[in-house]
Amino acid sequence: MKRVPSRLGGAIALLAISSLCAAADLPTDSVYQLGAQLTTQTGSSAGIDLYRGHPTLISMFYGSCPAACPMLITAMQAYESHLDKKSRARLRVLMVSFDAARDTPQQLDRLARLHRTDPRRWTFASAAEPNARRIAASLGVSYRRLPSGDFEHSLLITLLDSRGRILASTTKLVGDATFQARLQSATQPQEDTVVRSPASPGAALPLRTG
Amino acid sequence: MLRRGLLMVALLACAGAATPDDNPFLPVAGAEFRSALPLDKRDAVRVRSFLLQSHPVTNREFLAFVTLHPQWRRGAVPMALAGADYLGAWSAPLDPGPAATAAQPVTRVSWFAAQAYCEAQHARLPDWYEWELAAAASASRRDARSDPAWRQQVLDWYSRPAGKTLPAVEQGSANFYGLYDMHGLVWEWVNDFNSLLPADADPEKFCGSGALTLQHKEDYAVLMRIAMLGSLRATDTGHLVGFRCARDAGGVP
Repeated sequence: MKRVPSRLGGAIALLAISSLCAAADLPTDSVYQLGAQLTTQTGSSAGIDLYRGHPTLISMFYGSCPAACPMLITAMQAYESHLDKKSRARLRVLMVSFDAARDTPQQLDRLARLHRTDPRRWTFASAAEPNARRIAASLGVSYRRLPSGDFEHSLLITLLDSRGRILASTTKLVGDATFQARLQSATQPQEDTVVRSPASPGAALPLRTG
Repeated sequence: MLRRGLLMVALLACAGAATPDDNPFLPVAGAEFRSALPLDKRDAVRVRSFLLQSHPVTNREFLAFVTLHPQWRRGAVPMALAGADYLGAWSAPLDPGPAATAAQPVTRVSWFAAQAYCEAQHARLPDWYEWELAAAASASRRDARSDPAWRQQVLDWYSRPAGKTLPAVEQGSANFYGLYDMHGLVWEWVNDFNSLLPADADPEKFCGSGALTLQHKEDYAVLMRIAMLGSLRATDTGHLVGFRCARDAGGVP
């Protein structure tokens, strides 16, 4: 029992160090290089790197979408539901709307409540042009505003590592086993941090540099 | 160092003063327009009036941009924003050199770089419909696409073997709007380049039988362009891909 606080302390120190390092050297191919700005469901502005330091699922959508977008949110919940509790606690989910005009913070917040997403780990946000187009281009999402005001867009779920590099993506809303496996491994504790494995005391995992 | 910087700025200012409008934004009147894109399942799309630069951005113009914006110099741009071959024809980050002359269109620029350039001019990349509308004009008509002679002329441009070096801009004649090089010089980035094909389109099928779903099959030149743009990623730095900027007709977007 006594070891818990000290391990926590160590983890916090490691987190602090790793986030400092991440700020100093973001990988050159990181999506976070975009520096794109978002407006979140609480009405505050945030960077696209909101969840830097965590493996993150990111997807683009628009809130008034009748069918496909609710399915997309449900699909992301399904993918994370297959993780064990600790892995899920490490994961973050960022939903970015390209319909900034209609997806106001109030609308986004309503959507989050509707889908009962975990507010500690999920954020609904919107991006105005040209930020939305930049994020889409970076992830490989296509979208186009139709004369009706609706959007035609591709459904894509992307997994980012803790520093914003694309690890995997899927267009399958259910049952992409390869994607699920990448999500599983990305949310293991050894990702990007140095930890001692509790299963084999004393055996440090290799230090990951770079 | 500071003095040298000031000198450079002064030189740029002089160059700007000598030729203030050498890539002017020219008006293109809005129109109900039938696009070759299949997406909207309508006969025509409404394109609002806008302004488009008279020729593709040149090496000289792009040099002025990277001089003022060091983060867009070759070697400084992260891979998330431009591929390794970014400005690959230039001799050095601030020297286009003999292989990229001043009046040639700049190429090997990513979509992100093109977008940043336009933003720095208080402009933006044109949307596909805008570009397509502007490119439908011959020298004498707004929409010459039904003119077999003009269509053949456009196709001839595309089938001409690509020389080793790109020609300079404005070597041909201007179209109805006064725009040069809409066909026959380089491919050009548009703002929505990655959204031209249906979201579920298989690019290979698109080039073959899928192309039959496009509305106007006779516009081969435009279809080639759609297929090419649809195959690009935003970080790609193609040796034949340049761009020009647009503005809303009402002023700065």
